[in-house]
Amino acid sequence: MHELSLAQALIDQVKLLLKEHNANKVLRISVEIGPFSGIVIDSFEFGYYALIKEEPSFIDSKLEIITPPALYQCVFCGRKFKEDELTKDKRCPFCKDSFLTPVGDGDILLKEVEME
Amino acid sequence: MCEWCGCGQPEEHHGHSHNHNHSKIIELNKSILEENNKIALKNKEHIEALGAVGINFISSPGSGKTTLLQETIKRLKPRTKIGVIEGDIETQRDAQRIREQKVPVVQLTTGGACHLDARLVHKGIHQLEHELDDNNLDFLFIENVGNLVCPASFYLGEHKRVVLVSVPEGSDKPAKYPKAFIDADLFIISKIDLLDYFDFSIDEAKEEALKLNPKLDIICLSSVTGKGMDEWINYLLNLIKKE
Repeated sequence: MHELSLAQALIDQVKLLLKEHNANKVLRISVEIGPFSGIVIDSFEFGYYALIKEEPSFIDSKLEIITPPALYQCVFCGRKFKEDELTKDKRCPFCKDSFLTPVGDGDILLKEVEME
Repeated sequence: MCEWCGCGQPEEHHGHSHNHNHSKIIELNKSILEENNKIALKNKEHIEALGAVGINFISSPGSGKTTLLQETIKRLKPRTKIGVIEGDIETQRDAQRIREQKVPVVQLTTGGACHLDARLVHKGIHQLEHELDDNNLDFLFIENVGNLVCPASFYLGEHKRVVLVSVPEGSDKPAKYPKAFIDADLFIISKIDLLDYFDFSIDEAKEEALKLNPKLDIICLSSVTGKGMDEWINYLLNLIKKE
Protein backbone atom coordinates (compact mmCIF):
# COMPACT_ATOMS: atom_id res chain seq x y z
CA MET A 1 0.00 0.00 0.00
CA HIS A 2 2.62 2.60 -0.94
CA GLU A 3 -0.23 4.36 -2.74
CA LEU A 4 -1.15 5.99 0.56
CA SER A 5 2.36 7.46 0.94
CA LEU A 6 2.16 8.71 -2.63
CA ALA A 7 -1.26 10.32 -2.08
CA GLN A 8 0.17 12.03 1.01
CA ALA A 9 3.16 13.26 -1.01
CA LEU A 10 0.76 14.66 -3.61
CA ILE A 11 -1.28 16.51 -0.98
CA ASP A 12 1.89 17.94 0.60
CA GLN A 13 3.09 19.16 -2.78
CA VAL A 14 -0.24 20.81 -3.63
CA LYS A 15 -0.37 22.47 -0.18
CA LEU A 16 2.89 24.24 -1.01
CA LEU A 17 1.41 25.37 -4.33
CA LEU A 18 -1.65 26.80 -2.57
CA LYS A 19 0.60 28.89 -0.38
CA GLU A 20 2.78 29.94 -3.29
CA HIS A 21 -0.26 31.17 -5.26
CA ASN A 22 -2.17 32.65 -2.34
CA ALA A 23 -5.09 30.33 -2.94
CA ASN A 24 -7.06 28.52 -0.28
CA LYS A 25 -9.11 25.93 -2.08
CA VAL A 26 -8.21 23.12 -4.44
CA LEU A 27 -10.82 22.39 -7.13
CA ARG A 28 -9.11 19.84 -9.28
CA ILE A 29 -5.82 17.96 -9.40
CA SER A 30 -4.67 16.22 -12.52
CA VAL A 31 -2.13 13.41 -12.15
CA GLU A 32 -0.52 11.20 -14.76
CA ILE A 33 0.33 7.67 -13.68
CA GLY A 34 2.78 5.90 -15.98
CA PRO A 35 1.92 2.40 -17.21
CA PHE A 36 4.99 0.90 -15.54
CA SER A 37 4.74 2.73 -12.25
CA GLY A 38 3.52 -0.28 -10.28
CA ILE A 39 0.83 1.94 -8.75
CA VAL A 40 -2.70 0.60 -8.26
CA ILE A 41 -4.94 3.44 -9.37
CA ASP A 42 -7.94 2.40 -7.25
CA SER A 43 -5.76 2.31 -4.13
CA PHE A 44 -4.25 5.68 -4.98
CA GLU A 45 -7.71 7.26 -5.38
CA PHE A 46 -8.93 5.56 -2.22
CA GLY A 47 -5.90 6.91 -0.32
CA TYR A 48 -6.38 10.41 -1.71
CA TYR A 49 -10.04 10.70 -0.80
CA ALA A 50 -9.42 9.19 2.64
CA LEU A 51 -6.61 11.64 3.40
CA ILE A 52 -8.40 14.80 2.23
CA LYS A 53 -11.11 14.27 4.82
CA GLU A 54 -8.62 15.84 7.19
CA GLU A 55 -7.75 18.68 4.80
CA PRO A 56 -10.39 21.46 4.68
CA SER A 57 -8.89 23.13 1.60
CA PHE A 58 -9.07 19.87 -0.37
CA ILE A 59 -12.41 18.62 0.76
CA ASP A 60 -14.33 19.44 -2.47
CA SER A 61 -11.48 18.67 -4.84
CA LYS A 62 -11.66 16.27 -7.72
CA LEU A 63 -8.78 13.94 -8.55
CA GLU A 64 -8.32 13.40 -12.27
CA ILE A 65 -6.06 10.54 -13.32
CA ILE A 66 -4.53 10.26 -16.78
CA THR A 67 -3.16 6.87 -17.79
CA PRO A 68 -1.02 6.93 -20.94
CA PRO A 69 -0.86 3.62 -22.79
CA ALA A 70 2.00 1.18 -22.30
CA LEU A 71 4.52 1.19 -25.14
CA TYR A 72 6.79 -1.67 -26.06
CA GLN A 73 9.91 -1.78 -28.17
CA CYS A 74 11.00 -4.79 -30.13
CA VAL A 75 14.61 -5.57 -29.25
CA PHE A 76 15.05 -7.26 -32.62
CA CYS A 77 13.71 -4.64 -35.11
CA GLY A 78 13.74 -1.61 -32.80
CA ARG A 79 10.20 -0.45 -33.60
CA LYS A 80 7.84 0.85 -30.91
CA PHE A 81 4.13 0.11 -30.58
CA LYS A 82 1.23 0.15 -28.15
CA GLU A 83 0.15 -2.84 -26.11
CA ASP A 84 -3.03 -3.33 -28.18
CA GLU A 85 -0.98 -3.57 -31.37
CA LEU A 86 0.79 -6.74 -30.18
CA THR A 87 -0.04 -9.97 -31.95
CA LYS A 88 -2.31 -12.41 -30.12
CA ASP A 89 0.66 -14.37 -28.80
CA LYS A 90 2.28 -11.12 -27.55
CA ARG A 91 4.79 -10.67 -30.34
CA CYS A 92 6.06 -7.66 -32.30
CA PRO A 93 3.41 -6.67 -34.89
CA PHE A 94 6.14 -5.93 -37.46
CA CYS A 95 8.71 -8.70 -37.27
CA LYS A 96 6.87 -11.17 -34.96
CA ASP A 97 9.81 -11.43 -32.58
CA SER A 98 8.90 -12.11 -28.97
CA PHE A 99 11.68 -10.17 -27.27
CA LEU A 100 9.89 -6.96 -26.31
CA THR A 101 10.94 -4.43 -23.73
CA PRO A 102 8.66 -1.86 -22.05
CA VAL A 103 9.30 1.79 -22.82
CA GLY A 104 7.31 4.48 -21.14
CA ASP A 105 6.93 6.08 -17.89
CA GLY A 106 7.21 4.46 -14.52
CA ASP A 107 6.72 7.78 -12.82
CA ILE A 108 3.74 9.55 -11.27
CA LEU A 109 3.44 13.18 -12.34
CA LEU A 110 1.48 16.12 -11.03
CA LYS A 111 0.26 17.72 -14.27
CA GLU A 112 -2.20 20.44 -13.32
CA VAL A 113 -3.84 22.00 -10.30
CA GLU A 114 -6.94 24.17 -10.40
CA MET A 115 -7.36 26.34 -7.33
CA GLU A 116 -9.03 29.46 -6.09
CA MET B 1 -25.18 29.07 -7.87
CA CYS B 2 -23.58 27.44 -10.84
CA GLU B 3 -23.19 23.76 -10.08
CA TRP B 4 -20.50 23.34 -12.66
CA CYS B 5 -17.94 25.62 -11.15
CA GLY B 6 -19.52 26.67 -7.86
CA CYS B 7 -18.67 30.31 -8.59
CA GLY B 8 -21.79 31.82 -7.07
CA GLN B 9 -23.07 33.36 -10.33
CA PRO B 10 -26.53 32.47 -11.61
CA GLU B 11 -26.29 29.46 -13.87
CA GLU B 12 -27.97 31.07 -16.91
CA HIS B 13 -25.26 33.72 -16.94
CA HIS B 14 -22.63 31.50 -18.31
CA GLY B 15 -22.17 28.57 -20.62
CA HIS B 16 -18.74 28.01 -19.14
CA SER B 17 -16.90 29.96 -21.75
CA HIS B 18 -16.47 33.02 -19.53
CA ASN B 19 -13.23 33.63 -17.72
CA HIS B 20 -13.32 32.62 -14.12
CA ASN B 21 -11.01 35.14 -12.59
CA HIS B 22 -11.49 33.49 -9.22
CA SER B 23 -10.00 30.16 -10.17
CA LYS B 24 -6.65 29.53 -11.74
CA ILE B 25 -5.06 26.54 -13.33
CA ILE B 26 -1.42 25.88 -12.71
CA GLU B 27 0.32 23.62 -15.15
CA LEU B 28 3.17 21.54 -13.89
CA ASN B 29 4.97 18.43 -14.88
CA LYS B 30 6.42 17.47 -11.62
CA SER B 31 6.99 14.02 -10.19
CA ILE B 32 5.13 13.33 -6.99
CA LEU B 33 8.26 11.49 -5.96
CA GLU B 34 10.36 14.61 -6.52
CA GLU B 35 10.71 15.37 -2.82
CA ASN B 36 11.81 11.78 -2.18
CA ASN B 37 14.23 11.89 -5.11
CA LYS B 38 15.81 15.15 -3.96
CA ILE B 39 16.56 13.66 -0.55
CA ALA B 40 17.80 10.48 -2.27
CA LEU B 41 20.36 12.48 -4.25
CA LYS B 42 21.58 14.02 -0.97
CA ASN B 43 21.86 10.49 0.43
CA LYS B 44 23.96 9.52 -2.57
CA GLU B 45 26.33 12.42 -1.91
CA HIS B 46 26.46 11.47 1.73
CA ILE B 47 27.28 7.82 0.91
CA GLU B 48 30.01 9.00 -1.47
CA ALA B 49 31.42 11.33 1.20
CA LEU B 50 31.89 8.23 3.34
CA GLY B 51 33.80 6.71 0.44
CA ALA B 52 31.18 4.01 -0.07
CA VAL B 53 29.08 2.41 -2.76
CA GLY B 54 25.41 2.09 -1.75
CA ILE B 55 23.49 -1.09 -2.58
CA ASN B 56 19.72 -1.38 -2.16
CA PHE B 57 18.39 -4.95 -1.80
CA ILE B 58 14.77 -5.52 -2.82
CA SER B 59 12.82 -8.78 -2.68
CA SER B 60 9.77 -10.44 -1.21
CA PRO B 61 9.96 -11.64 2.40
CA GLY B 62 11.93 -14.85 2.82
CA SER B 63 13.96 -14.79 -0.38
CA GLY B 64 17.21 -14.78 1.58
CA LYS B 65 18.33 -11.15 1.71
CA THR B 66 19.61 -11.28 5.29
CA THR B 67 21.32 -14.65 4.85
CA LEU B 68 22.99 -13.43 1.67
CA LEU B 69 24.16 -10.33 3.53
CA GLN B 70 25.58 -12.45 6.36
CA GLU B 71 27.51 -14.62 3.90
CA THR B 72 28.64 -11.57 1.92
CA ILE B 73 29.94 -9.84 5.03
CA LYS B 74 31.85 -12.99 6.06
CA ARG B 75 33.68 -12.95 2.73
CA LEU B 76 34.22 -9.21 2.40
CA LYS B 77 34.94 -8.21 5.95
CA PRO B 78 38.63 -9.15 6.01
CA ARG B 79 39.37 -6.76 3.14
CA THR B 80 36.64 -4.06 3.11
CA LYS B 81 34.67 -1.83 5.48
CA ILE B 82 30.96 -2.46 5.54
CA GLY B 83 27.98 -0.66 7.04
CA VAL B 84 24.41 -1.96 6.96
CA ILE B 85 20.99 -0.33 7.15
CA GLU B 86 18.21 -2.81 7.86
CA GLY B 87 14.64 -1.92 6.95
CA ASP B 88 11.81 -3.81 8.59
CA ILE B 89 8.24 -3.15 9.58
CA GLU B 90 8.93 -4.26 13.14
CA THR B 91 11.67 -5.78 15.34
CA GLN B 92 15.46 -5.66 15.53
CA ARG B 93 15.87 -9.29 14.46
CA ASP B 94 17.61 -8.72 11.14
CA ALA B 95 19.92 -6.10 12.63
CA GLN B 96 20.77 -8.55 15.40
CA ARG B 97 21.78 -11.17 12.82
CA ILE B 98 24.04 -8.64 11.08
CA ARG B 99 25.44 -7.29 14.38
CA GLU B 100 26.72 -10.77 15.16
CA GLN B 101 29.09 -10.29 12.22
CA LYS B 102 30.62 -7.31 14.06
CA VAL B 103 29.85 -4.67 11.46
CA PRO B 104 28.10 -1.34 12.12
CA VAL B 105 24.37 -1.72 11.59
CA VAL B 106 21.29 0.45 12.01
CA GLN B 107 17.77 -0.93 12.15
CA LEU B 108 15.05 1.25 10.65
CA THR B 109 11.57 0.15 11.62
CA THR B 110 8.94 1.68 9.39
CA GLY B 111 6.12 1.04 11.87
CA GLY B 112 3.82 -0.45 9.28
CA ALA B 113 4.99 1.20 6.07
CA CYS B 114 5.76 -1.30 3.34
CA HIS B 115 8.95 0.31 2.01
CA LEU B 116 11.94 2.47 2.93
CA ASP B 117 11.93 6.01 1.60
CA ALA B 118 14.79 8.45 1.16
CA ARG B 119 13.93 10.40 4.30
CA LEU B 120 14.20 7.29 6.50
CA VAL B 121 17.47 6.28 4.89
CA HIS B 122 18.82 9.81 5.42
CA LYS B 123 18.12 9.31 9.12
CA GLY B 124 19.68 5.85 8.95
CA ILE B 125 22.94 7.11 7.45
CA HIS B 126 23.30 9.68 10.25
CA GLN B 127 22.64 7.01 12.86
CA LEU B 128 25.16 4.73 11.21
CA GLU B 129 27.83 7.43 11.39
CA HIS B 130 27.67 7.24 15.19
CA GLU B 131 28.71 3.59 14.91
CA LEU B 132 31.72 4.25 12.68
CA ASP B 133 35.18 4.96 14.11
CA ASP B 134 36.48 7.01 11.20
CA ASN B 135 33.55 7.88 8.87
CA ASN B 136 34.96 5.68 6.19
CA LEU B 137 33.24 2.78 4.40
CA ASP B 138 33.59 0.74 1.22
CA PHE B 139 30.03 -0.60 1.12
CA LEU B 140 26.73 0.57 2.50
CA PHE B 141 24.22 -2.26 2.21
CA ILE B 142 20.58 -1.25 2.56
CA GLU B 143 18.20 -4.14 3.08
CA ASN B 144 14.74 -2.91 2.13
CA VAL B 145 11.47 -4.09 3.69
CA GLY B 146 10.54 -7.52 2.30
CA ASN B 147 8.16 -6.59 -0.50
CA LEU B 148 8.58 -6.86 -4.26
CA VAL B 149 6.12 -4.06 -5.09
CA CYS B 150 6.35 -0.85 -3.07
CA PRO B 151 10.12 -0.46 -2.49
CA ALA B 152 10.60 -0.36 -6.28
CA SER B 153 9.01 3.11 -6.47
CA PHE B 154 11.35 4.77 -3.98
CA TYR B 155 14.89 5.72 -4.97
CA LEU B 156 17.01 5.85 -1.85
CA GLY B 157 20.24 7.25 -3.30
CA GLU B 158 21.83 3.86 -3.94
CA HIS B 159 24.43 3.27 -6.65
CA LYS B 160 23.16 -0.19 -7.46
CA ARG B 161 19.79 -1.77 -6.98
CA VAL B 162 19.73 -5.52 -6.51
CA VAL B 163 16.52 -7.51 -6.84
CA LEU B 164 16.38 -11.08 -5.50
CA VAL B 165 14.05 -13.93 -6.35
CA SER B 166 14.52 -17.27 -4.62
CA VAL B 167 13.90 -20.62 -6.27
CA PRO B 168 10.84 -21.53 -4.12
CA GLU B 169 9.09 -18.31 -5.25
CA GLY B 170 8.87 -19.39 -8.88
CA SER B 171 10.38 -18.19 -12.14
CA ASP B 172 7.34 -16.13 -13.14
CA LYS B 173 8.17 -13.38 -10.62
CA PRO B 174 9.83 -10.97 -13.11
CA ALA B 175 6.77 -11.08 -15.38
CA LYS B 176 4.43 -10.55 -12.42
CA TYR B 177 6.35 -7.76 -10.70
CA PRO B 178 7.86 -5.79 -13.61
CA LYS B 179 8.63 -2.51 -11.83
CA ALA B 180 11.12 -4.14 -9.46
CA PHE B 181 13.12 -5.42 -12.45
CA ILE B 182 12.82 -2.42 -14.77
CA ASP B 183 14.75 -0.21 -12.34
CA ALA B 184 17.21 -2.81 -11.03
CA ASP B 185 20.89 -3.17 -11.95
CA LEU B 186 21.40 -6.75 -10.83
CA PHE B 187 19.03 -9.69 -10.55
CA ILE B 188 20.06 -12.41 -8.11
CA ILE B 189 18.39 -15.81 -8.32
CA SER B 190 18.92 -17.16 -4.81
CA LYS B 191 18.62 -20.58 -3.13
CA ILE B 192 19.72 -22.44 -6.27
CA ASP B 193 20.59 -25.40 -4.01
CA LEU B 194 16.80 -26.04 -4.05
CA LEU B 195 16.46 -26.29 -7.85
CA ASP B 196 15.90 -30.05 -7.71
CA TYR B 197 12.88 -29.67 -5.46
CA PHE B 198 10.99 -26.88 -7.20
CA ASP B 199 9.59 -26.29 -10.64
CA PHE B 200 11.80 -23.25 -11.29
CA SER B 201 13.16 -22.49 -14.74
CA ILE B 202 16.30 -20.35 -14.64
CA ASP B 203 15.93 -19.74 -18.38
CA GLU B 204 12.40 -18.43 -17.98
CA ALA B 205 13.35 -16.15 -15.08
CA LYS B 206 16.32 -14.78 -17.01
CA GLU B 207 14.40 -14.27 -20.23
CA GLU B 208 11.46 -12.51 -18.55
CA ALA B 209 13.79 -10.25 -16.58
CA LEU B 210 15.88 -9.34 -19.64
CA LYS B 211 12.73 -8.51 -21.60
CA LEU B 212 11.90 -5.95 -18.95
CA ASN B 213 15.43 -4.64 -18.68
CA PRO B 214 17.96 -5.73 -21.31
CA LYS B 215 20.85 -4.15 -19.35
CA LEU B 216 20.21 -6.24 -16.24
CA ASP B 217 23.12 -8.27 -14.85
CA ILE B 218 22.12 -11.69 -13.52
CA ILE B 219 23.82 -13.93 -10.95
CA CYS B 220 22.56 -17.32 -9.70
CA LEU B 221 23.76 -18.30 -6.24
CA SER B 222 23.22 -20.20 -3.03
CA SER B 223 24.20 -18.69 0.30
CA VAL B 224 24.10 -22.20 1.80
CA THR B 225 26.39 -24.11 -0.57
CA GLY B 226 28.39 -21.05 -1.64
CA LYS B 227 27.79 -21.74 -5.34
CA GLY B 228 27.86 -18.47 -7.30
CA MET B 229 29.14 -16.50 -4.32
CA ASP B 230 32.52 -15.80 -5.97
CA GLU B 231 30.79 -14.18 -8.94
CA TRP B 232 28.73 -12.01 -6.59
CA ILE B 233 31.75 -11.01 -4.47
CA ASN B 234 33.68 -10.11 -7.63
CA TYR B 235 30.72 -8.03 -8.83
CA LEU B 236 30.89 -6.08 -5.58
CA LEU B 237 34.67 -5.71 -5.56
CA ASN B 238 34.58 -4.37 -9.11
CA LEU B 239 32.24 -1.62 -7.97
CA ILE B 240 34.72 -0.23 -5.50
CA LYS B 241 37.59 -0.59 -7.97
CA LYS B 242 35.80 1.72 -10.42
CA GLU B 243 34.85 4.28 -7.80
